[in-house]
Amino acid sequence: MKKRLLSSLLVSALSISLLAGCGSAGSDDAAEGGESTEESGNKITFMAPDWAIPTEEQLAAFTEETGIEVECSEVGWDDIREKIATAAAANQCAADVVEVDWSWVGEFYAADWLEPLEVSDEDKADMPTIETFTVDDKVLAMPYANDYRLSYYNTEQFAAAGITEEPQTWDDVLEACRALKESGTVEHPFAIALNAEEKTSTCLMWLAYTMNGVVWNEDGTFNEESVMEALQYMETLINEELVAPEDKTSSGMDAYMRICGGTASFLTGPTSFVSRIQDEELCSVVGQITPILTPGKDGKAQQTMPLPEAIGVSSMSENKEAAKQFVEWYTSADMQKQLNDTNSAIPTRNSVLEELINEGTIKNSGAMLEEAKLVASPFPNGIPSYYAEMSSAMYNAINKMALGELNAQEAYAEMSGALEELISEE
Amino acid sequence: MKKKIFPYLLLTPMILIMGVLVFYPIVATFSYSLKKWKLTAPGDIRFIGLKNYLQILGSDDFWYSMQNTLFILVFVVACTTLLGFFIGTFLNIRVRFSGILLALAVLPWALPPFVNGILWRFVFYSGYGFLNKLLTGIGLTEEPVEFLASRWSLLLVVSIVVVWRSVPFMALVCMAGRQSIPTGFYEAARIDGGSRWQIFRRITLPLMLPFLGVGVTSTSVTAINVFDEIVALSGYSDLAKNILMDSYLTTFTFLNFGEGAAMTYIVLFFALILGIFYLRSLAKEVSYE
Repeated sequence: MKKRLLSSLLVSALSISLLAGCGSAGSDDAAEGGESTEESGNKITFMAPDWAIPTEEQLAAFTEETGIEVECSEVGWDDIREKIATAAAANQCAADVVEVDWSWVGEFYAADWLEPLEVSDEDKADMPTIETFTVDDKVLAMPYANDYRLSYYNTEQFAAAGITEEPQTWDDVLEACRALKESGTVEHPFAIALNAEEKTSTCLMWLAYTMNGVVWNEDGTFNEESVMEALQYMETLINEELVAPEDKTSSGMDAYMRICGGTASFLTGPTSFVSRIQDEELCSVVGQITPILTPGKDGKAQQTMPLPEAIGVSSMSENKEAAKQFVEWYTSADMQKQLNDTNSAIPTRNSVLEELINEGTIKNSGAMLEEAKLVASPFPNGIPSYYAEMSSAMYNAINKMALGELNAQEAYAEMSGALEELISEE
Repeated sequence: MKKKIFPYLLLTPMILIMGVLVFYPIVATFSYSLKKWKLTAPGDIRFIGLKNYLQILGSDDFWYSMQNTLFILVFVVACTTLLGFFIGTFLNIRVRFSGILLALAVLPWALPPFVNGILWRFVFYSGYGFLNKLLTGIGLTEEPVEFLASRWSLLLVVSIVVVWRSVPFMALVCMAGRQSIPTGFYEAARIDGGSRWQIFRRITLPLMLPFLGVGVTSTSVTAINVFDEIVALSGYSDLAKNILMDSYLTTFTFLNFGEGAAMTYIVLFFALILGIFYLRSLAKEVSYE
């Protein structure tokens, strides 16, 4: 009898605990003693990758200043979008303030996941990358980590191949790479992403953009002339083996890092390489690489592509005002200086970037600041909501071209067909 | 009456857990699969019947992924069964270090699939891969072989990696099956003059069939659900994508929950067929009389 009673009790306890587990968070809060709305409004959650998480001291200073407590949730960059989407599918808010990558803006806007922010004209002028996060005149997120395409070349290797001038155009780069290969200085001098991944799509975008100043037409279709020219340029690099065979299957970052290993002489890549090329732990040719303005068709490119990261306020947040206050604080000039020091974030405010370069905090910056002033979005109507599908079609077609399955014309036909289908489904 | 209610009361927690965590998602996913539901178009969610299924079955992409899935399935099941059976029989031999050998044999099974993929990526990588270093070192090739650069070689590499992870389970199942056969059968067969081959064909194999059935079904489900290894070896490339990866990309990358749910159901359907086979092999009675 005792045994039976005990079993019944255990079963009941387990069933009740299971039902309790299914209860909503709201009822939990209520059960915890009726926390007031005012109090819950003073606590926000912030979901971001490790490099965006402020230090304890910085957060404490914010809390002291505003009375708002911030709970940080450190999530892998790749997983953030998935978590936001899954939560949104269940009409839940993943976090009050969330990381927003430049490539997510279109779909986040279409899905109505972001709360528009109020930004002064002064701030807009100081942060050119804010354009990437602006759709229909609404600023959806504030950029905190600057990234745009900047070129790098190994001056010693170029000199060894008899080239003393900095390359001005893409034709100059091609000729230089041929000379580097022929002279036996470097076997595969051009570092570029060719694997089936996002970086490969952006490589085609910035190449077409810096060559011709246009990637897409007003109706969202590819500008055939510009994109074909960029694809043919990539095809030449592949056919003449100026890129390494492993770049076709290794990650884009591995391909970029070849310049630090001395196996590549030219790279157009992230601004983070300004510090990477000076880090002896990462770079075996420290002192040989110089950041330069990205080449163009007839001279230096008149524009470069931004790829920044931002933070935005979730439209499902119950603490929007507090969240907006946090975003404002986090992207302020003072915090950008602090985040550069503590998190190695490159400021999105040109005034801060200039200050850090002038005072020597950012060293060997080369053309970094000059290039920052040329930042302009290549998307004529903002980033489209079908960006992920378009990018997937682009990188798969380029990868097939790299692996010899398609030529440039066929690769263009494949990605262009996929894009037109996506536009028609809109 | 009390006696009748009590067993059900005991089953209640498990029924609740299964209901909430297994059956409800299955039903909910089916309802999603009948809807046009793209997260980037929140104003256009509507019932469209079987349109998602028809669209998937009519797309070349799906059949490409299906071919990849079937390639991996056939290769993995065939190799895992043969190797697992052989290793299981070998592990059954009692030697001084049997325990250590068994632990070593089980190690690949204990590795997380993504880690497994990363480890093998270093082996097959075309630039600094171990295999290429070996091949060029002993003079078999001058240029590194691009193992991951073509569809079929990549699928072969993925399959080898999955076989490496699946063999230990199959070997354990086979070892358990082999140990469950009474030794008296073998003694009687030897006294009757049975050859090794006859003993294997008439005693070992038939009595191990239910165990092999369990192993084969489990391996088949593993082969259909390969994901981590493909991502670790080739990212989200079209080259080696299988139907599970297609389903993931549609749902979480392209945010098309309706079509993604339909694709998940197609994967579930294949897994179900194999699951039925698994349950039937479990239900088979083994008689030694």
